Amino acid sequence: MSVERNDRIFVGIVWGIVIIGLWEVIAFLLQNVFQDPMAATKLPYLHVIIATFIQNAGALLGAGLVTFSRAAAGFLVGGIIGIILAVIMSLSKTVERIGLPYLIISQMIPILALAPIIFNIVKDMDSARIIIAAYITFFPVAINMLSGLKAVERDQKDLLYSVAASQVEIYYKLMFPFSMPYLFTGLKIAAPLAITASILVDMLGSSSGIGVKILYALYSNSSNIFWAAVLTSALMGISGYYLVVLGEKVLLPWNKTSSKKGGDNV
Amino acid sequence: MKEKMLNIIWPLGFGIAILLLWQVGFLHMIFGLKPYQLPVPTAIAITLSNNLGKALTDCVVTISGALIGMAFGSLIGFMIAAIATFFPKWGYGGMIVVSAFNAIPLVALSSIMNLWFSTGMSQKIGVVTVVCMAAMSMNAYKGLNSLKPFSVDLMHTVAASEWTIFTKLRLPNCLPNVFTALKINIATAIMAAMISEYFASSTSGLGFAIKDSLRKGEMAMGWSYIVVASLAGVILYGIIILVERNAIKWHASQK
Amino acid sequence: MNSPEIQFKNVNMAYKGKSGEDIVALDNVSFDIQEGEFISLLGPSGCGKTTSLRIIGDLLQPTSGEVLVRGLSPREIRLQRKYGIVFQSPVLYDWRTVRRNICLPMEIMKFSKKERTARIDKMLELVGLQDFGQKYPYELSGGMQQRVGIARALALDPEILLMDEPFSALDEFTREKLNEDLLNIWSQTKKTVIFVTHNIPEAVFLSDRVVVLSPHPGRVSAIVDINLPRPRENSVRETSEFYDYIVKIRGSFEGV
Ligand SMILES: Nc1ncnc2c1ncn2[C@@H]1O[C@H](COP(=O)(O)OP(=O)(O)OP(=O)(O)O)[C@@H](O)[C@H]1O
Ligand SMILES: [Mg+2]
Repeated sequence: MSVERNDRIFVGIVWGIVIIGLWEVIAFLLQNVFQDPMAATKLPYLHVIIATFIQNAGALLGAGLVTFSRAAAGFLVGGIIGIILAVIMSLSKTVERIGLPYLIISQMIPILALAPIIFNIVKDMDSARIIIAAYITFFPVAINMLSGLKAVERDQKDLLYSVAASQVEIYYKLMFPFSMPYLFTGLKIAAPLAITASILVDMLGSSSGIGVKILYALYSNSSNIFWAAVLTSALMGISGYYLVVLGEKVLLPWNKTSSKKGGDNV
Repeated sequence: MKEKMLNIIWPLGFGIAILLLWQVGFLHMIFGLKPYQLPVPTAIAITLSNNLGKALTDCVVTISGALIGMAFGSLIGFMIAAIATFFPKWGYGGMIVVSAFNAIPLVALSSIMNLWFSTGMSQKIGVVTVVCMAAMSMNAYKGLNSLKPFSVDLMHTVAASEWTIFTKLRLPNCLPNVFTALKINIATAIMAAMISEYFASSTSGLGFAIKDSLRKGEMAMGWSYIVVASLAGVILYGIIILVERNAIKWHASQK
Repeated sequence: MNSPEIQFKNVNMAYKGKSGEDIVALDNVSFDIQEGEFISLLGPSGCGKTTSLRIIGDLLQPTSGEVLVRGLSPREIRLQRKYGIVFQSPVLYDWRTVRRNICLPMEIMKFSKKERTARIDKMLELVGLQDFGQKYPYELSGGMQQRVGIARALALDPEILLMDEPFSALDEFTREKLNEDLLNIWSQTKKTVIFVTHNIPEAVFLSDRVVVLSPHPGRVSAIVDINLPRPRENSVRETSEFYDYIVKIRGSFEGV
């Protein structure tokens, strides 16, 4: 069932056209057939949104970049914490026993809903943002990395064991490289979430960032700007995801089965 | 047996230790917090018990929205995955489109739904539906299509129809992935429901209640709602795990 | 005769099953291996060949009984880095090219760079993979991967070579060629080789002695000396003595 590359590009283009077409048709129907008075707000024409986006590209992308870079900082911190947690849990059965249930419970705490409380505690926009983005990132990273570390085959370990390799060498030569695809599975899940977190904190009272743009547009009833800002934020989420995919392709050239590996289990 | 005991005793002991340290103010000391910023567990518990009725009502509002949205979203997501499996060439592109949905920030989604729906409930369900749809369809698609090598060939040699292959081979194969998606979705659904309550015009639900108590400066109240939300999440997660155990048992015996 | 290099004395091995029951893999197994000897462990699937090999290599601890290697425990010998192991499956690291896979144990053992390169080149040639050094494992066939695993162990030039069905994934031609090559290497270096196989002609062709194991539970059912002249070439396979040994070993299987 391998789909040819050319076929895939063709299919992709057709899908793109269909979606754009559908959007325009629905927007047309809303405005002219159903005569919805709110139509221009509910779903403006896509070409109008894109035009607005281009007109305000500088401002929107600038704001996007602010939000994006703060999300990246939190993503990095959370990723590192996740990796360290996974390594500690793989080293000690007791720590894993203690850690795993709380890791799962921690995910059930609606952290984004905690955002105002955290903001209230640290009083600083940027640290709140980094804390929340990090909190959201560390869980998928830790879980996936741990399942990678635990998926190492016994024989692969025994090979190093048989030549009396040290624990450090076993991690460095085997465990870490082996679990890289799993790590990336976690990072792929976390990337859009980190951006969501960053936008949310924008909205809670930051002075810059794409979330502020969305909020202002909502208050001032400028729906085209609102939609252009939403489009920007969606593009940010998608590009965050594909940046991780790209990183995986570059860093793991040997990994032809990345999609099959990785237990994005919870 | 001893293993199982340890699995309970260690985390339980750890949890109690943390609660105690929190209660006696040790956490405040290391993080440099004032008691009003981070109320102690007993203060939260007392607030909660005084306010239990309202907290539960809010909880029902949020959780019912989350569950309905999750049901819609998971169903739609699964159907998309199934359709994409029957038409691999076009379905593959469809899956990319769906995975793009996954990358749309929750907050943006919530603002859009705010425009589309007038009531808080329908807006909430809308947000949760979209969020859950993406995770389910991506996971289900993976399960429906990552079959053991040659298993489809084997079915073809006995001239099985695509439908038979789907019910006999793909469906059981994707069951673990479906449960993975459900476990991811339950956390996301609750979070999405609460976030959408922040931005909605609604006047009930845990999200709104947290916003409201923070505005009034009632930190302990805010925390008590967080506790309720987390407990609800843990319970629902536990239910899914129980169902999963039984379903996978059935799954294994079917092979 | 001086004392044996490896002594397997009344070894029992029981694995723990899922519900805590004992799965007896080795039942009171004893045999000796002399220094420089080529010995085969032969038997049907599940008779405990891999288990025995892993116990010698200190990858598994027996439930009871004693194993001595040069009068020491397997652990001490492992820490002295005397072992080279070929596993039943290739056990390659996906993220390393063929060359770097072969290199891995030599890195751990701190061989000089020059030494490593020289040995890798030599081994690649021996297993016929000169042109594949820069490939990743996923670009190789199963048999080619297995040959990389063999090259990796041979490159160490270990004093005790443990091989678990190293050639079973290979076609008959390659297998016979590598059988001969292995004998060549062995005759030059006189290493102790413990060779697991379920292929009777292979065991007869290679070994000084064949330890025949029977399954459920794993027991030694016979130890057969192979007194075919050395050096052996493929023509040995056509002699009547060779055939007699095969018949004899086949007769010694219990209830299979
Ligand atoms: N990790 C394990 N847990 C439980 N039982 C095991 C385990 N490994 C092996 N056994 C059991 O021990 C017995 C011997 O296994 P072993 O792997 O040594 O056989 P073998 O002779 O190498 O077989 P093969 O030729 O198939 O490789 C088998 O009956 C097997 O069921
Ligand atoms: Mg074996």
